Amino acid sequence: MRWLALILPDLALQTHLRGIAEPGAIAITDPGPPVRVLAVSHAARLAGIQPGHSVPAALAMLPGLQLRPRDRMAEQALLQEVACWASAYTPRLSLDPPDGIVLDIAATLKLFGGADAIEQTLHEGLRHQGLRIATAQAPTPLAARWLARCPTPHRPHVPADWQARLDALPLDLLADGSDVSPASLALLADIGLRTMGEVRTLPRAGLARRQASAVIQTLARAYGETPDLRTEFVPPPSYRSHLPLSWPTIQIDPLLFASRRLIAGLCSWLTARHAGIDHCRLTLIHERGGEQAIDILTGTPSRNEAQLNLLVREHLGRIELSQAIDSLAIEAREPRPLTQHVDDLFGDPASTGEHASMLVDRLRARLGRESVRQLRSLSDHRPERASQHTPLDPRPAESAPASPQRPRNDRPLWLLPQAHLITDPTRLRLLRGPERIETGWWEGEDVRRDYYLAETPDAARWWIFQELDPPQAWFVHGYFA
Amino acid sequence: MSTATALATLPPGLVWQARQLAQQQGPVLPTGHAALDAELPGGGWPGAGIIELLHDHPGIGELSLLLPVLCQGASRRWQAWICPPWQPYAPALQAAGIDLDAVLLITPDNPAAALWACRQTLASGNCSAVLAWLPRIDNTGLRRLQLASEDGATPLFLFRSRNSARQPSPAPLRLALSGANGQLRIDIVKRRGPLSHRPVLLPYASLMHGSSCAG
Repeated sequence: MRWLALILPDLALQTHLRGIAEPGAIAITDPGPPVRVLAVSHAARLAGIQPGHSVPAALAMLPGLQLRPRDRMAEQALLQEVACWASAYTPRLSLDPPDGIVLDIAATLKLFGGADAIEQTLHEGLRHQGLRIATAQAPTPLAARWLARCPTPHRPHVPADWQARLDALPLDLLADGSDVSPASLALLADIGLRTMGEVRTLPRAGLARRQASAVIQTLARAYGETPDLRTEFVPPPSYRSHLPLSWPTIQIDPLLFASRRLIAGLCSWLTARHAGIDHCRLTLIHERGGEQAIDILTGTPSRNEAQLNLLVREHLGRIELSQAIDSLAIEAREPRPLTQHVDDLFGDPASTGEHASMLVDRLRARLGRESVRQLRSLSDHRPERASQHTPLDPRPAESAPASPQRPRNDRPLWLLPQAHLITDPTRLRLLRGPERIETGWWEGEDVRRDYYLAETPDAARWWIFQELDPPQAWFVHGYFA
Repeated sequence: MSTATALATLPPGLVWQARQLAQQQGPVLPTGHAALDAELPGGGWPGAGIIELLHDHPGIGELSLLLPVLCQGASRRWQAWICPPWQPYAPALQAAGIDLDAVLLITPDNPAAALWACRQTLASGNCSAVLAWLPRIDNTGLRRLQLASEDGATPLFLFRSRNSARQPSPAPLRLALSGANGQLRIDIVKRRGPLSHRPVLLPYASLMHGSSCAG
């Protein structure tokens, strides 16, 4: 067994800071009572504010300090998101509340290039999502967690003397990630114990008599003497993530920055589920309630982060922000299986460019759905009904109503949306015709016309018709381009 | 050895003489009309770059001229029509042998968006050909389109009015189209090669039936 513990230090603070490019002085408060500072950003720490200070004291030191209440729900959501992302590296992992995850990497060590490589990938991947983590490896999850709490530089990944290193850890850690009560911890401290090793030398019967049996069990789990069973993490069936901005804004750049973070999370969830999406919804939440939803559609299921970011950029570039935006949320349902693209051995010229559907996605995102259309040929004798253009459907119907008979090749390439009245028909020379089209009376759109191919004085060829009903006017309906 | 014979012994493509047509860099798409091929550098439409088609009146066979090349483009996914002035008539395109599923009609509501769409479709490399009607395009825009077209190795057939022939353009090939006695008259305004004094005449009948791949 080899466990890797991944801890998000100052989780309460990181939850608030990850959507912000340049955080100022921010302090997270624990909604007590008494209300106290729980964690502080770097800028606030420089001003001398420490966790544990009371709020008036902190404000006295730095009047411009921004205070944020702790948001436990958001912390749990963030932990879930990280777990989703990390499940790309091993199928066996579990949440380790309040602020960590443990991964069983024994089976996937080789696949990802060894212990060093996995740890490095985790650090880099999460840094990309705006998160700072601490990691350590050990044969038991609890030991890994405690070692991650006390990072030491240049250690071998699973030290041979890992039990000796556990012995040297401070006593306080005993309550971390276990059910050791503060009373038991105080008891041990009062009898002069400072490290884990010293606790282990105590007679067990004596500890058990003093209501400290949890201590014995915890140590046994940490040192691998009794099994430590964990519930496996299962990625949620739908995805929703919410990200507050540092302050309400109507500028696009902070929104883009935050949306990139959201999409990174979304893609990690998709990776964990081995799926892609063809639809997700980005919601811009206004400062005074109200919200604005942007639907992001992709032609084929995808979990390509760059592609989604590009689409979001096009959408955000197009919308009018009427009010300041306070936070962003992203929501995705119905992950779809990805169709695997297999590359040709000798390189396929068609696959050298980007994927064909990405072009359409980008055009639709910028120009709107109505501006990207496709042509259909329908079986109808009325010329204006035989050709139809509709917004492009990403999932085309299998049986498009195509015209059954072979289309005639005596039709013009251009059709005017509205036939134009010809004021002086004598100018035209008739070359072919008439072709009588008399149909549609059952739909109230009665068409009774004689069509001709006509040539104009400047040698252009038009498709013209004469109404059979009085006043028998002449119209131009198309050009033989 | 005289200069002329010395030049003749050099490998083709190394030296270009002004009375010859230039060698076309990259692939060439046959136009489907032998008379026109003979007048174009490389013997066909360039596979990348702007091809300007200048004409004033619709209905002189300006689209039929492109039908052979539009029917060929099966290797790539799309064929983009940007800002067509009228509705392309689906039954006629189908009869000519064009795959309607490949036709992408793009109708942006302002000139800037049209230019953007044009560049995107060209540079993506997913279109076999791009047809565009951009009435008000300036020289900077043209140069951008030319670069995008070269990047994506996609030809851009740009339809403009005849009086824009007086405006300089980075397009390597510019043809003025007009109708004359049941024929499409093509005057070559600009090409990589000597000036052309003789127009190419293509009878309408050959445009509509003879050379179209639908047969």
